[in-house]
Amino acid sequence: MDDRPHKAHRPSTSGGKVDKKDKGKGKEKQHGFNEKAFAPKSGRRADRQGRRNVERDQTRLHVPLVNRTPDSEPPPVIIAIVGPPGVGKTTLLKSLVRRYTKQTLNDVKGPVTVVSGKKRRLTFIECNNDLNSMIDIGKIADLVLLMIDGSFGFEMETFEFLNVLQSHGFPKVIGILTHLDLIKKAATLKDTKKALKKRFWTEIYQGAKLFYLSGVLNGRYPDTEILNLSRFVSVMKFRPLVFRNAHPYLLADRIEDLTPREQVRQSKGKCDRNVTVYGYVRGTNLRLGTKVHIPGVGDLEMKGVTILGDPCPLPDADSEKRRKLSEKKKLLIHAPMSDIGGVMYDKDAVWINVPGSFTRGNADVPQGEGEQMVMDLQDAGATLEDGVAQSHIRLFGSSAKHLTVEAAVDDDDESDGYEDEDESGEEEEDDSGIDSGEDDNDDADDAEEAAPHPYSTGRSTRRDVKRTLPTASSSKVQRADVEYAESDSDLGDEDEDEGMGKRFRMEDGDALDIPSDDGEGEEDEGDDDEETAPKWKSNLAAKAQAASSNSRRRKDWMKLIYSSGLTPEEVLSGKEEEQMAVDEEEDDGEFFRFKKVSIKDADDEVDASKEAWKEEDLKKWEDDDMLDSIRGLFITGPVAQEGGEAEGEGYEDAEDAGGDFEDLEAGDGAAPAASQPLKAESSRAAALAAKKEELKRKFDEQYDDPESSKVDFYTEKKDEISRQLQLNIEEFKDVPVESRALVEGFRPGTYVRIELTDVPCEMIEHFDPTYPIIVGGLLPAEERFGYVQVRIKRHRWYVKTLKTNDPLIFSLGWRRFQSVPIYSLDDHSIRMRMLKYTPEHMHCYATFYGPVSLPNTGFCAFNSLAADTPGFRVSATGVVLDIDRSVKIVKKIKLTGVPYKIFKNTAFVRDMFSTALEVAKFEGANIRTVSGIRGQVKKGLSKPDGAFRATFEDKVLKSDIIFLRAWYSIQPRKFYNPVTSLLLSDKSQWTGMRLTGQVRRDEGIKTPLNVNSTYKRVERPERRFNPLIIPKKLQAALPYASKPRLMKPQRQQTYMQKRAVVMEPEERKAVALLQQIRALRKDQVARRKEKKNEKKAVHQKKVEKEEERKGEKVKERKKEVMRATGRKSKREAEAEEGRGSKRRKTQT
Amino acid sequence: MAPTDLVQFSGHHHLRLRLVLSILSGKAVRIDKIRSDDKNPGLRDFEISLLRLLEKVTNGTVIEISVTGTAILLKPGIISGGPLVHDCPLSRSIGYFLEPIVMLAPFAKKPFQLTLRGITTDEHDLSVDLFRTVTLPHLQLFGISDGLELRIKRRGAPPAGGGEVQFLCPIVKQVKTLNFVEPGKIKRIRGIAHAVRVNPQFSNRMIEASRSILNRYIPDIYLYSDVYKGEESGKSPGYALSLLAESTTSALHCSEAISQPGVAPEDIALQATRALLAEIDKGGCVDRQHQTLVLLMMVLGSEDVGRCRMGEPTLRTIQFLRDVRSFFGTSFKITTADPLDKECSHLLYSCYGTGYMNANRTVA
Repeated sequence: MDDRPHKAHRPSTSGGKVDKKDKGKGKEKQHGFNEKAFAPKSGRRADRQGRRNVERDQTRLHVPLVNRTPDSEPPPVIIAIVGPPGVGKTTLLKSLVRRYTKQTLNDVKGPVTVVSGKKRRLTFIECNNDLNSMIDIGKIADLVLLMIDGSFGFEMETFEFLNVLQSHGFPKVIGILTHLDLIKKAATLKDTKKALKKRFWTEIYQGAKLFYLSGVLNGRYPDTEILNLSRFVSVMKFRPLVFRNAHPYLLADRIEDLTPREQVRQSKGKCDRNVTVYGYVRGTNLRLGTKVHIPGVGDLEMKGVTILGDPCPLPDADSEKRRKLSEKKKLLIHAPMSDIGGVMYDKDAVWINVPGSFTRGNADVPQGEGEQMVMDLQDAGATLEDGVAQSHIRLFGSSAKHLTVEAAVDDDDESDGYEDEDESGEEEEDDSGIDSGEDDNDDADDAEEAAPHPYSTGRSTRRDVKRTLPTASSSKVQRADVEYAESDSDLGDEDEDEGMGKRFRMEDGDALDIPSDDGEGEEDEGDDDEETAPKWKSNLAAKAQAASSNSRRRKDWMKLIYSSGLTPEEVLSGKEEEQMAVDEEEDDGEFFRFKKVSIKDADDEVDASKEAWKEEDLKKWEDDDMLDSIRGLFITGPVAQEGGEAEGEGYEDAEDAGGDFEDLEAGDGAAPAASQPLKAESSRAAALAAKKEELKRKFDEQYDDPESSKVDFYTEKKDEISRQLQLNIEEFKDVPVESRALVEGFRPGTYVRIELTDVPCEMIEHFDPTYPIIVGGLLPAEERFGYVQVRIKRHRWYVKTLKTNDPLIFSLGWRRFQSVPIYSLDDHSIRMRMLKYTPEHMHCYATFYGPVSLPNTGFCAFNSLAADTPGFRVSATGVVLDIDRSVKIVKKIKLTGVPYKIFKNTAFVRDMFSTALEVAKFEGANIRTVSGIRGQVKKGLSKPDGAFRATFEDKVLKSDIIFLRAWYSIQPRKFYNPVTSLLLSDKSQWTGMRLTGQVRRDEGIKTPLNVNSTYKRVERPERRFNPLIIPKKLQAALPYASKPRLMKPQRQQTYMQKRAVVMEPEERKAVALLQQIRALRKDQVARRKEKKNEKKAVHQKKVEKEEERKGEKVKERKKEVMRATGRKSKREAEAEEGRGSKRRKTQT
Repeated sequence: MAPTDLVQFSGHHHLRLRLVLSILSGKAVRIDKIRSDDKNPGLRDFEISLLRLLEKVTNGTVIEISVTGTAILLKPGIISGGPLVHDCPLSRSIGYFLEPIVMLAPFAKKPFQLTLRGITTDEHDLSVDLFRTVTLPHLQLFGISDGLELRIKRRGAPPAGGGEVQFLCPIVKQVKTLNFVEPGKIKRIRGIAHAVRVNPQFSNRMIEASRSILNRYIPDIYLYSDVYKGEESGKSPGYALSLLAESTTSALHCSEAISQPGVAPEDIALQATRALLAEIDKGGCVDRQHQTLVLLMMVLGSEDVGRCRMGEPTLRTIQFLRDVRSFFGTSFKITTADPLDKECSHLLYSCYGTGYMNANRTVA
């Protein structure tokens, strides 16, 4: 049935149906966008619509930010998988890795890097449930896959993580709901999804992406769902975050200990280690000479940085042509911590990982690439020595003579670092197979070393196993950097191997480096008897450079300034470089040198910014020709400027040579004369071309595209940024890689190996790959300490208030540390007033001592990082405001005293101060009684110490307490305690400084009780006031007004009160009548009033009407007058302008 | 502190720039052997005064001077700025003190309002006129412009001084990256001739003499005569001529000459004029006196490539470049400006800025 071909459909070409179809098509076209339908109906609406469109356009725009990550070779995108335990993080990671590489990982540890597309690589990292890890991951992740157990709902950690993200710059977040298969009922499932989605949206933003993963099949999530997720990931765009755009950082995907085993053994493993970490540089350029911070470990010194070959490279040019990524490329995976692949490449070593015990004939061990290599090595029939002795090694294919091994090279003198690596390798790998292989290389080295060839470049291919690794070491250079500036006088005694110097081959026998100057980089493992890296290779580049640029005459300023020991005077006067080189040679050969006799007398040399011109320099300007020669430098100068300028400059050079460059005179003077006309010709042509180009550009700008000239601010800024980025790329394009790294640092996207010194041994001993190791570069300012003022707000979900001087754990910048903040509020912009507790629902300031971060850096704070802490752990969030070395925070203090002698408005107060000196300090200060009488401190009294005279606005009572309000300045405690969680064996158990109460509780100590502090029942005796008794005599003498009127209320009833009234019948009648008459009268009055009101209203109406009419008339009259004056003024204006009467007609 | 946080030098040369670099980079600096072989060893009074000034403008700076005065250790604090007054000793002019301050001021916590008293013009350092007309416009290249001002309240000629200037400088978050490679052509020449406590005619005589040379080049020449009287003229007589030439791309070249006993004002003017011509002849976008300032600001720029075309480095510049590398780790790429032109003495200095942010600045 399948193979029978179907008859093709033949549509009719005529008839009604065709017409109908055409018509339909026409209609269909209109379906998409009917312009008429959306045309505005009125002008006003059009206006509103236009405005709305413009506004909507503006909301799309973001502040233009420079993206420091290069577009060409970006580092892999870090995708962090975060969620509570048991939610399916590892399953998701495995599924995603399988989706990209078709490999199933068994045991995932550390970051896993895969190639996902032609221009994108992804690094997956799983985040464990430790808050420390979550903080660190949040600082580096580009995309967070936030996993939520659908059957359970959100957990506290998820919210904590989101709050951490918020304060450190929000990366992209995709939510993933799992365990949905556990919900059986469809309706419940729907409701759950909806509820979780709503909550998720309020946390991230409305419309944030939420994925649903249904269930697990074969230990993976369904392939289609993972495919969808991977599609989302692959098209995701990332906006640079401010903090990451200003700091270099890397996520270490591998870490090695380089400390000599012997040293470790001798110190019983307690010595500080030399550690290398590997990873892609991200953020900005990583520069040498700066410090790095590893969160959880501390600030560390970078000893050297080396560019390594990319272990997980993007597809290269030939596969670029294909539309899709080839299957082979897809299989690339880099996960050194998970031990995948078996082979790892270092700068100068290859690590082959062999699972289990590895012996020959062990068939059940899977034989990968690496294993195969080791097998092959074991197959070698002859010993190495024999092999070397018999083999002929030629340095170059063209070399006629092969190298021979000389017995003179003995082991002690072997100044090769690989040996050390081997040793460390030996013990780590625990098998001898590697050793032999490595030894081979060593011997080859020796052979090369023995070779007298000065231009030997040998080593780049020596270790080549599978592919070449372009390595560029720069640690040496960096060390030279640091020691360079030790002092002016010993500028000359370092060897300069920066690749610029013109060098001759040096003997590398004697030690020239005194320990402090010892800079020879990465292989120097610290073995005292072994020498540092071989000298012959340290100046290879220099030699090559020298060879190539032998004939150059022009001064190489970079070399003269940066890599020569010449004094500035010598540089300017052009001392011979050969001379310099010889000098250096001598220096290198000997340990001690003669002290250079200071050339200049200290006294006549002043630190002057104005450099006086020499007499002869000014003298030449007396000459008229000389004056004319620089006409070309002025706008009024001759038009044929190019030639003129060149002429002038040539002249000047010659002159200068006479004055300054005595040695160069011969060379400089002769060469230009010959090439002058030719060069002038070419430069003129070039100038003409440039001018034409310029004119054309101007013309185009003016006539071709009028829009291009008037771009808006946003586009202008963006253009500016892109232009600058372009310039950044262009400027150092032709500079060799090493010196480029020296000048601009290591660019984001390069895979580097950073060697760190003095790393605490616990980091290595307690290394756990499930905890991420992040190397964050520090800006120079961030290495310093000071008082940091922040704006802080207690998190609304954190239940307790925060108290001044309680330790708090901050996550600020790269660091996590504990410090002791003081909270404060700005009191009327006069003072910073200490707060004992953070206010509710309000920001306040906090000041603490710690490492400086740039203002505007966000942070979050915790009281405890431990997992067993109940409730929400993020206790506060905020932002850095200010950095300083001193703080001015005050708290209120009230000094109290009591008056002991009171005059009219004056009182003598004691108990406020203890000495007269203190009183003197507070003279003139405002004081107050509790009852509110204000006063002033006047002067100290001699008799009771610390008593003083004070005046008040009123008489004070002896029972009044007098107080003085003053401000006492307080300093935050200088306490800084980095959270060294990575150094612990149990990484989640870090404890910092505890509160006193906590310590007491833990130690079981009772709180000491001050007797005076105990609350006692206050017994207040009832106050009795005696009656005022005025003596009879005095009473008599008092004037009447002042006489006490002591009248008791009348006790007996009055006469009238005692009597009852009984009326006669007539009397009663009369009273009733009178009452009736009064009632009638009242009613009459009321009615009359009503009537009157009615009349009044009518009258009012009438009057109003009248008024209106009158008003109309007045208005009319006024109008008339105004019209007249208007006409008049208009006429005047027109008369002035001298225009015709045309306008006047329109006016009536 | 780790040992790398300390930079060591010896000798009293380039003291100011080293102190400035130390304060900006935050690295402590130790300078020893300060005139240790001299008959009069140790720091001079103006150097002490400079250290005091630096202590005033910063917060938390620790300066330790050895007993003999031949070694100092400076642990820098933060640059605080704000309103300050400083009396400069009469051994050096205000320019000596103003030069490091100009480099520090944009990175302070509060805008600078520094009043300096002393000698306004002398033969060693840039006069305050040149600071106002040349140095401050150089800062504008880096986006430091609003509120940047130098007010000359009083003039003070050596030896007795008595001058007063007020320096106002705004603060910036980050300086802009410089890209200044077109020297352009000289389009205008300006000058200030001032005379204090001498015949006011002197300044006119200087102007006339200077014009006799300059008039041949361009018509746009304005030389101002600036005569101060009474209180404002300081305590000693003196006069000087400062000239500046501006190019079409607003590159500035300057020169000046000050009165010497027994030399006619005309000769002083000719000296200044010839120095200006020599400076113009040297060319470049930045003149010799301001090389260090411009290079420093380039180093402190954002993490982009800054370029500037200048003449050959001076002695100070060479040492400065070396010092910059020891403090900031930044080295310049120095190439000839015009590789085709064999005689071109101009050099193109380019560097990758350190992305220096003003951490001292207070937000909100």
